[in-house]
This record gives sequence, structure tokens and C-alpha cells, in this order.
Amino acid sequence: MEVKEVDVKNRRYRHLWQQFLESNGITGFSAADLEAIDTTSLWLDEEGEVIATGSLAGHVLKYLAIDENHRQAGTTFNIVVSHLTELAAQRGHYHLFVFTKPEYEASFQHVGFQLLAHTPQASLLETGMPTIKDYLNQIKHSSTETGTISAIVMNANPFTKGHRYLVEQASRNSALVYLFVVSNDVSLFKTTERKELVEAGVKDLSNVVVVDGGDYQISPATFPAYFLKSDQEIGDYQAHLDAQLFKQQIAPALGITDRYVGSEPHSKTTENYNQALAEVLPPTVTLHVIPRCQSNNGDVISATRIRQAIKEGRLEDVKCDLPTSTFAFLKANLPILQARLTTHQQKGF
Amino acid sequence: MEIKTTAMAGTLESSDIQITISAGQDGINIDLDSSVASLYGDQIKKVITDTLVATGITNANVKAIDKGALDCVVKARALAAAQRALETSDQPAWEVF
Repeated sequence: MEVKEVDVKNRRYRHLWQQFLESNGITGFSAADLEAIDTTSLWLDEEGEVIATGSLAGHVLKYLAIDENHRQAGTTFNIVVSHLTELAAQRGHYHLFVFTKPEYEASFQHVGFQLLAHTPQASLLETGMPTIKDYLNQIKHSSTETGTISAIVMNANPFTKGHRYLVEQASRNSALVYLFVVSNDVSLFKTTERKELVEAGVKDLSNVVVVDGGDYQISPATFPAYFLKSDQEIGDYQAHLDAQLFKQQIAPALGITDRYVGSEPHSKTTENYNQALAEVLPPTVTLHVIPRCQSNNGDVISATRIRQAIKEGRLEDVKCDLPTSTFAFLKANLPILQARLTTHQQKGF
Repeated sequence: MEIKTTAMAGTLESSDIQITISAGQDGINIDLDSSVASLYGDQIKKVITDTLVATGITNANVKAIDKGALDCVVKARALAAAQRALETSDQPAWEVF
């Protein structure tokens, strides 16, 4: 048995690889998914037939399959996972995720993976360091107050008065609010910029703590469909996994009983995500859907419209939708932001 | 000695152990995953701790996934991971053995 590192965007291996995966029941080869792959390993027998394969996309293991004649005792499986964790370590990733079917949960747990969340269709597991426990210990707020602890998760790309309105509702009805800012580098505003603008915009609300969403809240690692144009079905199961992860791991560890979201009239992805939260969270966590705050002209305030205004250089038109801190930042950085918009015409910006 | 980077050594194959070491604060904390933990868990942790201490590490978070490794294998993997974490792989610490 020999192992080869291949690039599946290369036609020579693409066909061989995809056919092998399809014969093992793995589908979903969208351009965005293939683009995310960093490296693929193929194990071949003496005749050059594929025995097993696995890929790495950042710190996520993907497209892992083993020929059914080589599954006994899990020997090949352990070799494959071992090899991929080594490749990931060489790339500086010591913390890995895998999405898999629920029937393979045990196989991954057998090689040291911990279950994070599962739904009837899919399971999410992690291995290595730091773990979700480290993440939760790091963000846990030592509050002595008693009362409702709430959570909001937002991308805030950038932070608007609409976001502010949602935070105010939660702040008013809670003893403590965890405000998670989604970590990703695929939005127009960088993670640090988004977080700083959120912090500046809520600093007068003393019971709101702004924390990093890390790899566990709508992150490109665990919820890629939120950022990429993916299959509706894939987006749906990832949304349910994200909701389960929040319910099973994050809420109990931080004592969160309530979650606030804004209603979503425009984006289908966000609307589906809200729907998944509504299906998964209650009764453990109460979901509050707050109607979106309206702008002076009667339309709902949306970050999408702010980004459009940045693109067209019409900042004054959206001034009334923005806290002074965000407006000042946009004004000072307009040329940089416009340059980012023209160089990256990606979806999600 | 100060841990400079997270590092890993070993595989998940039978008779091996995969050890990952990262910087820690209070002593050497080992998270061991082993099917023989109830029988040999304490012994495996002792070998890892002794090896790390011998390389001068006093604070570390360690994750170990054991697949039935013998003591000599545990020691070799712990040493390799430790030296990678300390970035001293070019100065093999033979005396640790």
C-alpha cells in the first residue's frame, strides 16, 4: 500500500478520486468545496486501485472514505486519520474538526475525537488542542449577579443601529449578555475590526460582554455553508449542527438560557438558520426573535445596505443607520474598504 | 524550559501513541485517551510526566491518544514531541533515555 499526496483540482486524479468517493456514498463536489481543499491523500494498492482517501481543508478533515474490503479492524482507518493529523500538524493545525455520518461517530471517538454535536443526519467531532472546554473556560465571565443569562451571535459586518437595537432588547431583559462576534476572515470587515466596532457600540451597556465566537459559532470551519454558496440541504444540516452545538455545549457551560436573534426578511441563509434555532433550542434555551429595527425611510436597517453604500461612496445616506463609532470608522477607512470590495468580489462580502 | 510551539509526535496505529504538547500554566496536565486506561493509565501518565520533566518542561497541556504502546514507545514519542515543542530537535537529549 502506498500513499500519494495529490491535487484533486488536477484532472488526472479528480476522476479517480470522485468515482471512489461516490462508490462509497459520498457526494457534494461543488466548486466552492473543492476550492477549500488544501491537500488530498490517496492510498493505492499494488494494482494502482484506490483503497482509501482523505482530505484536509484548513483544520477540517474531509472526503474520508475507505474501500469496504479494507475496513476490518479499523487498521486502515487509523492509518488514514493518523496521516491526515500529521499533515495538519505540519501545517500548524493542532486542532481538527470532522463532519461525519452518525454511524461513524464511534470510529472517530476510538482515535481520540470528542463529540461536539449531532443531528439525525450528521455529527461534528473535534480532536487536538485547544478544545471546546479551553475555549469556554477562556470566555466564561465570572459574574456574581443572579438572573437570566442571554446570548447573541452576530457577524456585524459592520455594526449598525439594527445590531445595537437587538443588543439593547437582550440587555434590558437579562442580568448578563454574552455577545459573540463571529470569527472569520471572509467578510469585508476583519474579525478584529468587527469586534472593535461592536465593543465601541455597546460599551455603555454594562451587562454586555463581547466575546470571540471562535471555531464554535457560525465559523467557516463548522458552518461553511453560511459563507459559501452551497447546497441548500448542506446549509440546512450545518445550521442544525451549529444550533445543537450551542444547545449541548455552549449554553450549559455558560449558564445561558435565552438567545436573541433578529427577524430576517432578506437573506435566505439567515432565515433558514433562525428556523433551525427555533427547531433545536426550545425548551432548553428560549429563542427570542426580535423584529428588525427600521431606518428613517421605513426599510429595515441592514449591513448589506451599508456595504452597498460603501461601495458607491454614499456614506451620508446611511449615516442615520450607524452608531457614531461605526460611522467614524467608515469615514476614516473608506478608500481601504472600497479597495477590498473591488479586489474581492466574493460572495458574502 | 519554555514551550515555544504546540507540537505532536506519534501515530494512531496499533501499538503506538500520539502525543500533543502545548504551553500550560499549572504543572503538567495530561488528558489520556486509552482503551487500557483503567489498567495502565497511571503508568502511561507517569512515563510521559517523567520524560517531560527530564527535558526541563514543568508546565504543559498534554493530549495523549494511546493505542497500546509499550513504555519505551511512550517515552520515545513524549521525547520527540517535547523537543519539537521546545524547538530543540537539533540537539537530541540522549541522556533522557
